[in-house]
This record gives sequence, structure tokens and C-alpha cells, in this order.
Amino acid sequence: MTKVEVKDLRVSFGASPVITGVNLSIPNRSITALMGPSGSGKSTILRVLNRLVELYPEAKVSGEVYLDGQDVFKMDPLELRRRVQMIFQIPNPIPNLSIFENVALGLKLNRLVKSRRELFERVKSALEKAQLWDEVKERLNAPAGKLSGGQQQRLCVARALAFEPEVLLADEPTANLDPENTAKVEALFLELKKDITIVLVTHYPPQAARISDYVAFLYKGQIVEWGPTRDIFTKPKHELTEKYVTGRLY
Amino acid sequence: MTAERRVANWLGLGLFALLGVAAVAPLFLIIGDVYIKGIDAINRLGGLWHFLTELPPSPFDEKGGIGPMLVGTLYMTALGALLGVAVGFPLGVYIGEMRREKFTNVARAGVNVLVEFPTITIGLFMYAIMSLAKEDLNEWVMKPLSHVLKAAFGDWVSWFIGPLDGYNAYAGAAALAIIMIPYVALVTASAYASIEQPLREAAYDIGGREFNALFVVLRKAVSRAVITATLLGTAKIAGETAPLLFTAFGNFYYAPFTGPTGAVTLWVWYAAQTPYDVQIASAYGAAAVLLTIILIIFITARIKR
Repeated sequence: MTKVEVKDLRVSFGASPVITGVNLSIPNRSITALMGPSGSGKSTILRVLNRLVELYPEAKVSGEVYLDGQDVFKMDPLELRRRVQMIFQIPNPIPNLSIFENVALGLKLNRLVKSRRELFERVKSALEKAQLWDEVKERLNAPAGKLSGGQQQRLCVARALAFEPEVLLADEPTANLDPENTAKVEALFLELKKDITIVLVTHYPPQAARISDYVAFLYKGQIVEWGPTRDIFTKPKHELTEKYVTGRLY
Repeated sequence: MTAERRVANWLGLGLFALLGVAAVAPLFLIIGDVYIKGIDAINRLGGLWHFLTELPPSPFDEKGGIGPMLVGTLYMTALGALLGVAVGFPLGVYIGEMRREKFTNVARAGVNVLVEFPTITIGLFMYAIMSLAKEDLNEWVMKPLSHVLKAAFGDWVSWFIGPLDGYNAYAGAAALAIIMIPYVALVTASAYASIEQPLREAAYDIGGREFNALFVVLRKAVSRAVITATLLGTAKIAGETAPLLFTAFGNFYYAPFTGPTGAVTLWVWYAAQTPYDVQIASAYGAAAVLLTIILIIFITARIKR
């Protein structure tokens, strides 16, 4: 079952094209990795999927993106971002806010909860799903900035999960983490994909090999090859793909 | 280090220390002078509570206070600060975040000029506005409004709302707000402009709507800078005299805010140049009170940071 369908997507920033015609379908309840060298347009594709690309006024987007068959460009961004949440390369909890408030704020702003009790339950369950609850349950009111980098990233995952999203976009979520925390986040993703669809951007092929079900290899704004992870890594059809997965192209 | 260089080093450091002392000396001299003379004056004029609540001394009184002026200053400063933040904060967000809008540059330039504007011209401007708009404003807004409010809440409303005189507390508060707006706007704009892109993306991601992202999520991220700016701006307008000359005008009595209203600064300005000792003393007492208000706000802002 296809969750997200991208058709002939083209994005340019000012005069320079970044995505030049991408078609992609992302299967439901799986991890799809977008991998490729820096500047290949991976992060840009993610930002189109929940329309954060609109933060950049110089970005011109054409093409179609469907979420469960619905045109995302015609959706209310509020609705879209509730269903398609994102976590980022640099852990970015809101400074000055407590651990609890960081997870709760989005729910409050979007009026997704009716009572304090429900809010607490949603925050708790999000923190549990992000496997952070046990580490922070004693200090929910402590500032989020006091957490370690790995904890901050899992807090951001919890913040996203609090929305109970259908799709989770992850933009190189482990790029700033040590191996131990990387392993934790990867294990977390494998757990999460039972319920939600994950689109993972990575510039580190072994990560895609470890946890993804499908891989799309991007190069210079186009998808060179895409398919089940095993096929891409064991019998790549394209020379560029082979070079990339064997570490000879960056 | 050679002996020669060591001597040069001492000389240099000594010189800088001296310059540092010269720079802060006036501050301590002013604070010392105002408090020594001011506290003495307050004691002679009837003690602190008496001084803070009573009418000012006439030239032939022995005791007196600054009650009406203190009330006027607090009222106009509070209103001015409220209005200043209400307009200055969104304006700052606009300038800081909507950097690609065409009007942003104009707004930014305007705010930069306005923040350095001679405050007396702002007072003059409000004076002109009041003169031109007073009749219509009273006819169409203030009179009907005061009728309705008086009927609903009682006669005490006329202390606050009613037909305006040419000089009134609201003109004063508006002049103070115009001084405060660019100050708050500039600090807000630079705080927003310094927000890093990942945080901005997170704000849009969890805020959903742009309004939520900008005014709720990101506001929480920059709230310290904005609160500090608000407090410092409030301290700044609490000590303003020039813009109140033509707008609040000054008053020696407790009177409705719709007419001439006293202010501590105006009383200092007036009383210090009279030939009567008792009024000069009360000016020093008023200066000490004013300085205390401003220092309290200022220290609060520093601690908050």
C-alpha cells in the first residue's frame, strides 16, 4: 500500500534547480531511506512532503504529492503537519521550555487534547514510545536544554510522536549523535515502523542498509535507482549506485 | 618580559582603569547626590508614606508630597508600556521574520530613525494630534463611551473615561508608547533574526499555522530578550520628561486622567527651578523616588537575564 506518492517533483531555489523530476512512492508502515551525497536534494524532498519548504520564499515547487491520495498542496498545513511530522538533523527542542512543555506545546496549539489529564497521557505515551520516559519521568519540568544530545533528539521524536502522526520524516536524525545514541534511535525506528511510515534521509549507506526496507538513491536532484534495500545493496543496477554503496562516490 | 615592557603594561592598565573610573564616576555621583539630598528631603517633608501620597507643597507649606504626580507617572508609564509592547512586538516580528516583504525595509529604516528621535518632537506631534482631533474624538467616541460606562459601572468611571481636555494622560501615554515601540521592535527583530533555521523549522512543524509558529513557539524561544527589552523600555519611558510637557502638561492635584495629569518628572522639572526651598527639596525627593522606580525595573531586567 502506498502512503505517499510523489509525481514529477521539481524544486528550484532561485535560479538553481535542486530537484529535477522525482517520482517516488513510499509504502505504508515501512522505512524508506533517501540516500545520496550532499546536495543531492534529499532534505529538500522531505521538506516538500510536509511543506516546510514554504518557509523558503525563493523555493519554487512544481509537481504533485499525495498523502493517502490527497493532494498535500491543497491540504490545510495544520492538518498536514499533524499527520506528517518531522525530526531534524540538529536536535532542536524549544529553548526555555521544560521537557514536558516541549512535547505538550504542539498538542495545545493545535487543540488536539480536551483536558489536562488527556494532555498528560498523550505526553507520557509519546515519551514512552520515544523510549525517553524512564530517563525523564522524575524531572518533567526541567529545561529541555539540560538533556544530553541523544536525549534531546529522542525528545524531538517524542514531540513528533505526540501528534500521533501517520508519517515521520527524519532528516539525518543521527548525524550529530554518538554510536550508542545512534543505535538507540535506529532501534526506536524499527519499533515505530510497525505503526507509522518513516522516511529517513541519510548520507551514510550502512545506516540505510541496517534499518530501511526500501532505498531511493538520489544524485544531483534525480532518483538514480530505487527498490527494496537488499536489491540496492546486493545487486545495484546502476553504476553510480554501486559506486555510492561501496563508498567510492560521495 | 623586560622591565621596560612591564612598566609600559602597568602604565597602560592604569590608564584604562582611570578611564573606567571616569566613566562610571558620574553615575555614582548622581545616585549619591540624589539619594543623600532626596532621603533627607523626604524625611523633612513628612516621611515616606506622606511624601508618596500627599499633594505637593505650596511655597509656604512645610510638608508635602508627590502623590498626584506619582499616580500620573505610574498610570501613563503602564499604559505607554502596554501599548508599546502591543504594537512594538508584532512590528519587531514582522521586521525580523518577513525579511523578504517589500515593506519590511521601510519599516526597519523607520524604526531605526524613530528610536533616535528627539522625544520632544514626539510630544509636539501628540500635542498637534490632540488639538486637531479632540473635538471629533470627544463628540463621537469619548462622550458616548463615558455615558455607557457611567451607566454601567457608576460615576467613578469619569476619572478614567470622559470628554478629553487638550492635555490629558492618554496623550502622554501615547507619546510614551511612540518612544517605546521602536525600542521593543528593534530588540524583538534582532532576537527573531538570530533564531537558527532548525529551530524555525521545528516551530512551523509543531505550530502548524504561521501565526502559532511565530507568535507562540518562537516567542517562547526569544521571550527573555523581549521581556528584558520591555522592562528596559519601561524604565526609559518612566523617566521621560520632554514628551509629557505638551501632552500630560502636569497637575498639582489628584484629577481625572482625562485632563492635565501630573508626572514625577514634570514635577522635578518645575519644582527644582522655583525659588522656594521646600519645593526644591520636594524635587530632590521626587528624583529619588523616580530613580528608585527605574533602578528596580533595571535590576529586575538584569536578574531576569
